[in-house]
Amino acid sequence: MTSLKRLRLSSTESDVKSDVETNATVVTQRPWNVIVWNDPVTPMTVVVVVFKRIFGYSANKCTHLMLTVHHEGRAVVWSGQRERAESYCVKLQVAGLQATVEQDT
Amino acid sequence: MPGKLFVRRRDGRVEVRLNDAGRSVVREAFAHVAAAERDPDHDWHLSMNAPINPSKDDDDPLSALARQNEIATNSELSIMTLNEQFLNDAEAWAWLSTLQVALRSLAVVNGILSDEKLDSCEHDLLQEIRTIQQLLFELAACF
Repeated sequence: MTSLKRLRLSSTESDVKSDVETNATVVTQRPWNVIVWNDPVTPMTVVVVVFKRIFGYSANKCTHLMLTVHHEGRAVVWSGQRERAESYCVKLQVAGLQATVEQDT
Repeated sequence: MPGKLFVRRRDGRVEVRLNDAGRSVVREAFAHVAAAERDPDHDWHLSMNAPINPSKDDDDPLSALARQNEIATNSELSIMTLNEQFLNDAEAWAWLSTLQVALRSLAVVNGILSDEKLDSCEHDLLQEIRTIQQLLFELAACF
């Protein structure tokens, strides 16, 4: 059985100090946005269902995002780490939606 | 009034109520997607491989490969279950994804990128698009 005493489970003062020192680097990294673009043929219900399936958003949020795509031509449907953004983008494209990633400006 | 084409049953399966003509439309769409994914010269190939990150010349090969594998998996699973009366959730999702890929590819290769273009496209093409839209509309209602 592993002794809990041998594991460091909490931050020490030096850890906090280290985080503060590297904080500036983290802050300057802009998130990557997953963009879904409007097209004239995709049924609205399909867009809602795809958002719900891929992101697990509520029905209201999915509908709101779908309407944003419909009226504004595009919508940011997810923001965050680049690798995850690309993964979500692939899933949206596999589901037949027009999606791209771009870094937040 | 015609009945539903797809029905989600209490046990979670999706019942397919397509007649021969409906199955034929679906079969053709699935076959096109499967062929286009394998054949770089297929009309639909480019539309199915749009850039993930348009600001770069080339996509991350791993992302492109992931997309290629998943599209192929969906279309193959759809073809394998083409004659089934009942689909499980994953199979129904593969049908929906493959039909949607087919719909968008059909629109892109025919230059239908706006509502005006859609309204002014030739009758047969419009009928084909409307048929796939109807299938998608009803299948999406099962999710």
